[in-house]
Amino acid sequence: MADLDYYGLLAISPHASSDEIKAAYRRFARRLHPDANRNSPGAAAQFQSITQAYETLLDPVRRQRYDEETLRIRTGKGKNNAYFTLRVTPSRQSLTPLDDPQVMYLLAEIAADPRIRDEVQKRESNLNLTLVLDRSNSMNGTRLDKVKVAAHQIIDNLTPKDILSVVTFNDRQEVIIPATYVSDKPALKARVSLMSASGGTEIFHGLSSGVEQNRKYLGPRLVNRVILLTDGHTFGDQERCLELAKEAHKDGIGISAMGLGHDWNDEFLDKIASTTGGTSAYIDSAGAVVRFLNEHVRQLSYAFAERVGLSIAPDPDIVLESAFKLSPNPQPLTIEEGFIPVGSLQANRAISVLFQLQVPAGITLGFRSLARIMANGDILTNEPQAFQALSDISVDVVEEPQPDNPPANIMDALGKLTLYKMQERAREALERGDVAEATRRLENLATRLLDMGEEELANQALAEARRVAHTSNLSDRGSKTLRFHTRYLLAGSVTEDNS
Amino acid sequence: MTSVCPYCGYKNRPGVLFCEECGKNLQAEANATLPTRKIDEGAKDLAAKATWGTARFNPASSIIIHVRDSAEPIILQPTKRTVVGRSDSSSTQKPDLDLTPYGALEKGVSRLHAAIERSEDTLTLIDMGSSNGTHLNGQRLIPDQPRVLRDGDEIRFGKLVAHVYFK
Repeated sequence: MADLDYYGLLAISPHASSDEIKAAYRRFARRLHPDANRNSPGAAAQFQSITQAYETLLDPVRRQRYDEETLRIRTGKGKNNAYFTLRVTPSRQSLTPLDDPQVMYLLAEIAADPRIRDEVQKRESNLNLTLVLDRSNSMNGTRLDKVKVAAHQIIDNLTPKDILSVVTFNDRQEVIIPATYVSDKPALKARVSLMSASGGTEIFHGLSSGVEQNRKYLGPRLVNRVILLTDGHTFGDQERCLELAKEAHKDGIGISAMGLGHDWNDEFLDKIASTTGGTSAYIDSAGAVVRFLNEHVRQLSYAFAERVGLSIAPDPDIVLESAFKLSPNPQPLTIEEGFIPVGSLQANRAISVLFQLQVPAGITLGFRSLARIMANGDILTNEPQAFQALSDISVDVVEEPQPDNPPANIMDALGKLTLYKMQERAREALERGDVAEATRRLENLATRLLDMGEEELANQALAEARRVAHTSNLSDRGSKTLRFHTRYLLAGSVTEDNS
Repeated sequence: MTSVCPYCGYKNRPGVLFCEECGKNLQAEANATLPTRKIDEGAKDLAAKATWGTARFNPASSIIIHVRDSAEPIILQPTKRTVVGRSDSSSTQKPDLDLTPYGALEKGVSRLHAAIERSEDTLTLIDMGSSNGTHLNGQRLIPDQPRVLRDGDEIRFGKLVAHVYFK
C-alpha cells in the first residue's frame, strides 16, 4: 500500500539515513503529538501519518518494499506523480508580537495538476448514486411531479456504467429501485413514476435504507453518493441520522442533503452534508428542483478525485477557530474530524477552504511554523490510488509591523463570508434570547448587503430584523434565504480556474 | 494595525480584516491612515509654540485646517461667516468650505454642518444642527450655540477630524 509519500511527510530526502529519519520524526512529533494538541483532531490524524511513515522507513525491510512499490507506480501506468496540488496562502506574511491574541486567515486551494487537466476527458467518473426522496403528504402535487421529472432526467443522463438506486420515504421507507446498473432506462423511469405522496416525514429509515443500497456497489473508483431530498422536519431521529452519516462517511459514501420549501431543519441538513463531504442546498420552489438535482449529479460526474479530505494541524499554541468551504458549493465545514471531508474534486475547478486561526499574545520573534495542512483523496483514474499533498505554513515574526496588503482573493472571499457570519451571529444571539443584539446584527447585515448592491437580500434582512424586534423570531423562509443566499454570494467570488 | 472599527467603534482582534460587528472592510481604513503620521509631526511643531492655543485671532491672519488623512492643509481667509459642509447635487445651498474631497459623505458630514463666524478678534464655531454633530476638542456642541475657537483646536465634523491653526 503506497498511499502516502512518506519522505514528503517527514520532509527528508529518499536517501535519508536512519538518524535523519529519527531526527525528522522527533521534530514533527513535537509539533503534532496529541499530548501537546489535546483539542486538535487534525494534529492527531497527522501524527498518525508521520508515525506510520516513521515506522515504515525505519525498518529496512519495510522501507525497501515501500521504495519498490513507489517506483513501480511512478514508472507504471500513472505517468504523473502529482495528481493534485495544495496551495496555501496566508493573510499575512509576517506577524508582530502583540499583547492581545491576533487573527490570521489561511486560504487552502486544492486543484488538479495542470497536466492532468489537459488529459482529462469530459466525463471522468462513474457514479454509484442513490436518491432518497421524501414522499410525505406535503410533497403532494407540484413538488412530487417535479421530483419525478428530475429523477427521469437523471436516469437519462446516466450511463450503463453508472449504478443507481432509489429509495422513497415517509413514515417508513420503500426501495423502489434496488441498486443496479443503469441499462433499462424506461423500466427504471416507470418505477419512479409510480411514487405517490402520503404520510409524515421520518428521515432515518429512508436514509439508512439508501445508505444500505449504496453500500452494495461501494467501490474505490466510483463516486459513491446518496442524495437526500426532503421538505419537512424529522422528529426524534436526528442523532441517529448523524451517526449513520458518520458511518457512511467512513465507508466512503458522501451524503448531499437538499431541503425543499421552508419547513425543514437547515442546521441538521448542513451537518449531514458537512460530516460526509456532501453538499447542502436550499431549493426554495418546486420549479427549481429539476435544475438543482441535475446540476448536482452533473458536477459529481465530473469528479476526478473523490473523498477528498483536508486536515489541519495548527501548532500547539495556535487555535483553529473555523473552516469554511468557499468553492465549489460554499458551506461551513466541521472541524471536529481529523480529516475534514470536502467532497469531490473536479478537474477544472479548485476546492478552496478558508481557515481562521487565532495566534496567541506575546509570540516570540523569529521565523516560526503556524500549521501543517494536508489534503488527500482517491484518484478515480485507471489505477485507483490514494494521493496526498502537503503544505507547511510559516511566518516571520518581526518587531516592526510590515505594511501588508492581504491577498486580493482572501479579501474578496472574506468580505462575502463576513456576511454569512453576520447572519450566523444574529441567529446565535437569538438562540441566547438576546433580541436586541439579533436585531442589531440583522440591521448591520442589511446595511452591508445594500452597500454591495444586493438589494433584494438586504430588504429580506431588514424585514427579518423588524420581525425579530417584534416577535423575537425569524421567519422560516427568511432565515433560510439569508443563510443560503449569503453563501451563494461566495460562489462567484473564487477563481474558477487558478492556472 | 488598527483593531477598533472606524465605522462602529467595535474592538476587533488584530488581524481581523472585516469588522466582526458591522462587516465593513477594516483594511481600507488601515491603508488610508498611513499618511497621517507625517501630518501629526507637522502638527506637533505648530502646537509646540503654545500648549494652550490663543483665542485671539489677528484680523490679518488666516486659518489652516488640517483634515486627518489628507496631506494638503486647507488655508482659509475667514469671512464674516464660513459655512462648512459637503456639496450635493440635489441641494441648492453650497457650503463655503466643501469637505467632499475629504470623504465627507462616508464620514457623516451634513450638507450644512457647521459655521465658523468671525467677530472683532475671535473666531467662533457653531453647529448648524448637523445629523452627526460637531465636536470641539472632544466635546459635542449644542446646535446654534457658538463656542470660541482657539489655535490648535481639534474639530470633529461627524467622523471627520480636523485640526485648526491660526497663522
